[in-house]
Amino acid sequence: MLDGRVGIDLVPFGRVRQLTAGGDGAALRRMLSEAEIALCRPESGWDIAGVAGRLAAKEAVFKTLRVPGQVLPWLGIEILKDGGGWPVVRLTGRAAQLARDAGIEQVDVSITHDEPFAVAVAFGVGTPVRHAARPPRA
Amino acid sequence: MASAGIDEVRAWILGRHPERDAIAPEENLIESRLVDSLSFVELVYAIEGASGVEIDFDTIDIQDFQTLSAIEKAFFATVRIA
Repeated sequence: MLDGRVGIDLVPFGRVRQLTAGGDGAALRRMLSEAEIALCRPESGWDIAGVAGRLAAKEAVFKTLRVPGQVLPWLGIEILKDGGGWPVVRLTGRAAQLARDAGIEQVDVSITHDEPFAVAVAFGVGTPVRHAARPPRA
Repeated sequence: MASAGIDEVRAWILGRHPERDAIAPEENLIESRLVDSLSFVELVYAIEGASGVEIDFDTIDIQDFQTLSAIEKAFFATVRIA
């Protein structure tokens, strides 16, 4: 049996529309790498479903790492496409280090979207570091 | 006395939560879900706009963003000259 961790996340399209409204999507450019923007911003404008799916996938990947008190390394978790059009995860920088620390060697994701939501599931394969259960509150 | 900058940040958060009319200085913004992972990026952007300080995402200390009081201390601290 594969050892690993699962992460899931949901992003409403409305949240992405807020991020793209009335500007050049400056906040989004801190969440999506140039390679990702090339995939989800055709000349006609932001592909809302594509952006929502990527953001959900990034959060789902981050959840597999289970790192408390850390800011999501948005640009270090890239959701790109393989030759068949399927999403692939590329971890770099702090995100790659967090994955190594967590014992996660590889992460796979699946994304689905239908107005008004995008949902992503991630599965991190490796030998995850297990945290001790918190004692019940007195 | 609160700085104008932190008032701007408070107003930005309240603008996202019309059900609220106040945020206590020590209220945890993340645990109370006033700020989530998506809006955190926008919050950083709002703080940059109000403070003029550029914030590097890779060196962020999450403690600096937990409460309005922590944000004020980290980004809007007034230098007092004796």
